[in-house]
Amino acid sequence: MTLFRAIVLEHFRHPRNRGALESRNAEADGANPLCGDRIRVQLRIDDGVVTDARFTADACALCIASASLLTEHVRGLRVSELETITGSTINAWLEGDPPAARRKCSLLPLETLHRAVASRAIE
Amino acid sequence: MKRPHSLIDDLEAADSESAVAMATLISATGSSSKKIGARMLVGRSGRLLGGVTIGGCVDAQVIEAADALLGSGDRRLLAISLDDDEAWEIGLTCGGTVEVMLDRIAPRNDDDPLVAAHAVVRDVLARDESAVVVTTLDGPAAALVLTEDGVCRGTLGSDESDVIAAEIASQVAREGSRVDTIAGRRYFFERHAPPTTLVIIGAGQIAMTLTKLARELEMRSIVIDGRDRYATEERFPSADEIRVGMPSEIVASIPATRRVAVVLVAHDYKYDVPVLRHYLRAPVGYIGLLGSRKRGAAVRDLLREEGFTDDELARVHTPIGLEIGGRSSPEVALSILAEIVAVRNGKRA
Repeated sequence: MTLFRAIVLEHFRHPRNRGALESRNAEADGANPLCGDRIRVQLRIDDGVVTDARFTADACALCIASASLLTEHVRGLRVSELETITGSTINAWLEGDPPAARRKCSLLPLETLHRAVASRAIE
Repeated sequence: MKRPHSLIDDLEAADSESAVAMATLISATGSSSKKIGARMLVGRSGRLLGGVTIGGCVDAQVIEAADALLGSGDRRLLAISLDDDEAWEIGLTCGGTVEVMLDRIAPRNDDDPLVAAHAVVRDVLARDESAVVVTTLDGPAAALVLTEDGVCRGTLGSDESDVIAAEIASQVAREGSRVDTIAGRRYFFERHAPPTTLVIIGAGQIAMTLTKLARELEMRSIVIDGRDRYATEERFPSADEIRVGMPSEIVASIPATRRVAVVLVAHDYKYDVPVLRHYLRAPVGYIGLLGSRKRGAAVRDLLREEGFTDDELARVHTPIGLEIGGRSSPEVALSILAEIVAVRNGKRA
């Protein structure tokens, strides 16, 4: 088994930060309309810093692993630093590139997180 | 929300009739009868709705009696032998007898005790609750409705009869419709329960047929998917509800009762696993999962790792459906509904 696959399965079976964040002050829903992945990312942002992050999802292993890793890494980051996280960053956390047809799965949590932050900025 | 076919719908459809003969199957022996409580409405215009038996021979006699009733007759109880002479001659006799109560009702008259009783039943069913309707079988028509929260509406004519009827009704609510006797007089106790609700996860081809067949079986259907291009009214014209979103969140908003049958036909673990997490410890009547034995075992193993017990996991019917050798989507849908009916009727665990 490759390291990439092992990481994906580990985070799918034991996802970090799964479940609702009661103290949230930013959130967004995301979906991949054809494969059916559904995710909600919820954040607590205080003084421009992400102090907590959680997610809820009915999604594939890759999407859940990506969300699990993302919510671990964004804690303590300033909102301005979130812009530096890209698909390549997530691939590095996963220790490998997802197959081309599955890139949307791994990117959905990140796109949803950015929308959550934007919703906070609008408020 | 659309409702399944029911007596209530039939009554509404008959509403344009000034008088309607309502035939109710109240008892049966033999093997060819419909379910107790089956109904046929015969309009003055000749219109027919529903039926009291599977075949036509008895219904024809009922229609003839109904026409006479609408002319000038009184309500009456018909006892009809299924040993029809002609059928016997060619060796097709069914055997047994049926009793059919024939009433004249005025659908637009709220003072009609039978119409009023069924209006109460309609409200009770809309609240997803049950009721027992008790009707007289001789003398003038009278009806008493007993709801599951203990409320009584109407009367059989005396407080004493109503009290005894309420005691019998509590048994009928558990055991099903029947005729019973109070002080030497016979009454029909009819149980009305909300329909089975089919919760379908995955808006694919099998689900499309499931919603059509469910309607024929008087089941409600709710189609759930995360993909709005799949879960559409165009694809599911027979569905009672179509809901798009995170399936595990949507199912959490649907009351989980023994009248709920959960059908997982997305064939996708991303929905199967979270929805099963919700239902494995919920008191629903049926859980079925589409897929091979191998796939079913893999899903069970995953959930076992999370702490679900073997007894909880054994509730999942997988491969889903009765084995009828079906391969096409409609055939698979048929086998699924056959299994749900079998479980509901106690013919399958």
